[in-house]
Amino acid sequence: MLKGNIAIAKAALKCGCSCYFGYPITPQTEIGEYLSSEMQEKNLAFVCAESELAAINMALGAASSGAKVMVSSSSCAISLMQETLSYASSDEIPFVLINIMRAGPGQGYIFPSQADYNQSTIGGGNGDYRIITLSPSTVQECIDLTYRAFYLSQKYRNPAILLADGLLGQMAQGVILKENPYPEIDNSSWILNGAKNRPARKICSLEPNQEKLNSHIEKLFKKYKTIEEKEVLYEEYLCNDADIILTAFGTMGRYSKAICNYYRKNGVKMGLFRPITLYPFPNKRLNELSQKTKFFIDIEMNMGQMLKDVKLALAKDATCKFIKKPIGDWSGQEETIAEIDEILKEKYANNI
Amino acid sequence: MIKNIIISGSGGQGILSIGTILANIALFSDKFVSYCPCYGAQMRGGAVNCEVSFSDEELLCIQKEKAKFVIALNQASFDKFISKVEKNGTIIANSTLIKPQKPREDISYIFAPITQEAIKLGNIKTANSIALGILLNLLDEFSMENTKKAYEKVLKTKKDLIEKNIEALLLGFNFLKKEGN
Repeated sequence: MLKGNIAIAKAALKCGCSCYFGYPITPQTEIGEYLSSEMQEKNLAFVCAESELAAINMALGAASSGAKVMVSSSSCAISLMQETLSYASSDEIPFVLINIMRAGPGQGYIFPSQADYNQSTIGGGNGDYRIITLSPSTVQECIDLTYRAFYLSQKYRNPAILLADGLLGQMAQGVILKENPYPEIDNSSWILNGAKNRPARKICSLEPNQEKLNSHIEKLFKKYKTIEEKEVLYEEYLCNDADIILTAFGTMGRYSKAICNYYRKNGVKMGLFRPITLYPFPNKRLNELSQKTKFFIDIEMNMGQMLKDVKLALAKDATCKFIKKPIGDWSGQEETIAEIDEILKEKYANNI
Repeated sequence: MIKNIIISGSGGQGILSIGTILANIALFSDKFVSYCPCYGAQMRGGAVNCEVSFSDEELLCIQKEKAKFVIALNQASFDKFISKVEKNGTIIANSTLIKPQKPREDISYIFAPITQEAIKLGNIKTANSIALGILLNLLDEFSMENTKKAYEKVLKTKKDLIEKNIEALLLGFNFLKKEGN
């Protein structure tokens, strides 16, 4: 039985994470707390940084030398790290960033929230770049997707974010801590590990030559296209014969599954589509589903951030309603069911 | 069938400890379990509660609106969580620190002098285990063997406390019999 935060920390060690740079912010502090003793015992690098900027830039330096690196913090700290995410994307430096979301904007508070969807999938750094974003909905997935985040970031030489909310970070569930299923990626062709017996290398995002910068960006976007084609992950639950499909990610994904079960028991053919990769977003599959099912309800613990991606993906003649709650004192199924009942009443009255 | 339990009190009363122990008892009994702690910035004296849910089926919806059982170890948590007890549910209240009032008629009340009993037992810190004992009696579905296993797991770095806590747990477990309920 593990807490989400501890599960992530344990999975990182199993991935061979050799450097951790943290800036403790509730609700993710247990990640650093756990690693502080474990990494010291294993003679690995644990640094509780003096600031958010220091933590993420230490990650940039360590990862450029070939170390497997993880940084963790929470929403408002991730805001401060955006500049380095832009640099790391341009420099193609892989590391894993864990964001256990708390409520914002600004300082907000430690309540769970899913309001960093835009921050992760669109980003706040400058320039054209994308960050791989994985969204677990159970503690088991916290483990499985931490493994995958390390693998994808190394494979594509790109930062990857594991985006979970405070509820998932704090809750404990029974889990199976399997071994990391992914192969090691050879990084010997690019890392800065001393130029003994080889020509010197440099990694630098500054490029004053217009043509070269242009082709660098083209190259990055060719990589993003491959990621979009190959790395999309999602869960479909009872979608095949569904008249209504719920869309939700992370914690709200599992809530929505319970809601599907409730409506199925009451004779309503409801299904769930849960994106697991938020970038790349599973728009192709969602579009396919909307060729058959025409009524969607998006449920999020924010004011509607994934909603625009859902709407963009759906066929033009599909309807999409939205249920929102900005912070996570989500009082359970009953409230959501009452809202869905209202939406369904309107749907049947207007024969949508 | 999901059973949902809220354990509440103030920081230092061992709320999260018995929450973790209860979650582990359920896990050892092959249930799907979730444990969600909730606490403020204060370590001692601040409001603390946790929610333990368990079921034979996969647990999807946690943080439910209502709980079948609520343990309240101080007045503030009694006042806050009494509205969360579901109809025909039960609140276990520490009458050493809580006035024995019954503001709702559709639920059952167990007022037990939990802190006082713990002091009599020689360690005020075992009050939480007394409360857990009362709850386990009401739940009537977990074995003593799994309960001991959970204590040994959670208190593995504080082994000297296990025996006293089990004694307190049994005192709580037998409390209802003694009261003739």
